[in-house]
Amino acid sequence: MALLKVQHVTKDFGGLRANSDISFSLEKDELVGLIGPNGAGKTTLFNCIAGLHPTSSGRIIFNGEDITDLKAHEVARRGLARTFQVYAAAGDLSVAENVMVGCFMCTRSRSLAKSRANEILAYLKLDDLADFLVGELPVAAQKRVTMATALGTDPKLLLLDEVAAGLNPGEIEDILASIKHVHYELGVTVMLIEHVMELVMKISDRVIVLDSGQKIAEGNPQDIAKDPAVIKAYLGERYVEVIHD
Amino acid sequence: METLKNTFDFSDFPRVDLMVAGAVLIFLLTFPLLSHSSFAMSTMIQFLMFSIYGMGWNTIGGYGGQVDLGKAQYVGIGAYTTAVMLIRWDIPFWVSMPIGVCFAVGWSFIIGYPLFRLKGHYFAIATIATSLVLKDLFEVWPFVGAARGLEISPIKFHPPDFLRLIFKEDIYYFYILLGFFLMGILYINWFRKSRLGFQLRCIKDNEDVARSLGINVHLAKVKTYAIATAFVSVMGSFHACYIKNIEPEDTMSLTISIMIALMAMLGGAGSLWGPIIGAAVLIPLKSYLKEWLGATAGLVGIDIIIYALIIMLVSAGEPKGIWGIVEKVRRRRRK
Repeated sequence: MALLKVQHVTKDFGGLRANSDISFSLEKDELVGLIGPNGAGKTTLFNCIAGLHPTSSGRIIFNGEDITDLKAHEVARRGLARTFQVYAAAGDLSVAENVMVGCFMCTRSRSLAKSRANEILAYLKLDDLADFLVGELPVAAQKRVTMATALGTDPKLLLLDEVAAGLNPGEIEDILASIKHVHYELGVTVMLIEHVMELVMKISDRVIVLDSGQKIAEGNPQDIAKDPAVIKAYLGERYVEVIHD
Repeated sequence: METLKNTFDFSDFPRVDLMVAGAVLIFLLTFPLLSHSSFAMSTMIQFLMFSIYGMGWNTIGGYGGQVDLGKAQYVGIGAYTTAVMLIRWDIPFWVSMPIGVCFAVGWSFIIGYPLFRLKGHYFAIATIATSLVLKDLFEVWPFVGAARGLEISPIKFHPPDFLRLIFKEDIYYFYILLGFFLMGILYINWFRKSRLGFQLRCIKDNEDVARSLGINVHLAKVKTYAIATAFVSVMGSFHACYIKNIEPEDTMSLTISIMIALMAMLGGAGSLWGPIIGAAVLIPLKSYLKEWLGATAGLVGIDIIIYALIIMLVSAGEPKGIWGIVEKVRRRRRK
């Protein structure tokens, strides 16, 4: 049974159609990339799935339950976590305290939340940074803190929104290792929005491509890289022939 | 068990803080022996009352970042509940105070539920409006004495009356208040480490992040608003017994609401010591401005101008107040 089923989801903002009739499904233990040029509607789709935006039409089924009309916190409590592109976690909370906020979803006890947070931090090799304020950290570390915080909620499915944007190659390797850890060792199903192609192509089992709010392709990374529709979306009509010649 | 431990555990503060806090505590405990001036005593009582008001405000306004400028309505509810019950039915303070808290918290749900759909300045304005409307209602309600208010006549009772909290000497009020003050500190010490405390600090920063971490943002705000209200209402009840003469104009006015918010904002919103520091600075200043500049120099209303200036300076310069400056210096030194 599919873990997540997105069925004909459409999202309008006034007259602007951000997502148009998008359908796909995600199996348990898959790692799926969601790519597309700027403004393709990737983040909007994440917001719809996570319950931050109400969908205009369509259904979203998570773990066999219809979550279309649930509020964001109710979706999160069912095991669907997401990270944010621009991470503005509590400015006056330390790294460890941030992760504790996530852990507090599943427990009321401060000591339990604390020990769980420490485990996650050690797991993502963030334990050295535990006492820093998030705002004091470099972007790369902040992105890993967002992942740690989301993991605190003990999710079945993790939606990662551009965790590698703005990082240098060395840092991308680190975050890649973190994602692999989370996916293969903790067994969390992952869907990620990413602009850094080498990362998406390297780790995704499957890639879904959006352009102007529509799904234009879906398949394994090798096929997607050669797909004329995808090349057209990214580079323009001219390049389709150049590359295929 | 864990709750108890968290309540009394101050170990995350640097030792200097705890030593200063200890010294202040000893000073407060021995204060009545040191000074026999009734002016100093009444200033001290004001300081303790406004510290507690500030601590309450600090939960929703400081940790939660929801600027609430309508706390005076709950001072009024607490004060009037106690006064009406004492005057009409001779119900003692220790019974009427919890009943007042129930009324205030009930009203806070009615107010808070719709108001927390608003954000930022709109929320602040709406709280001012509800508070003023309630004040106007009390001014025309004969049951509570309308605009003339209510007077608790001490002659009817036999001070010292510990049940009704009617005393001749301020020293009794001082020590009872000190008890509330210490309980307030312990409660906030627990609160800031509790699940709700953590969730609020996350909400303050980014509500979407909070939602995606499974936090019911609206409910968390309404709950915290009720906690803040309970603090304020207890002090309102105390205020009735202490002042003995309450009228809408001085228990429920906008100035009271602003003073309450100002304590915490000036001292440091979102920190344990902030409201206490704020009250320690503002209450003597207020006495000075009102008694001396206002009365002697004929500059009536100067206090309100000064408060406005402080609000502007704090929110533009250092949103985390005096305590924020202390923290900043410490961080810099550690590096």
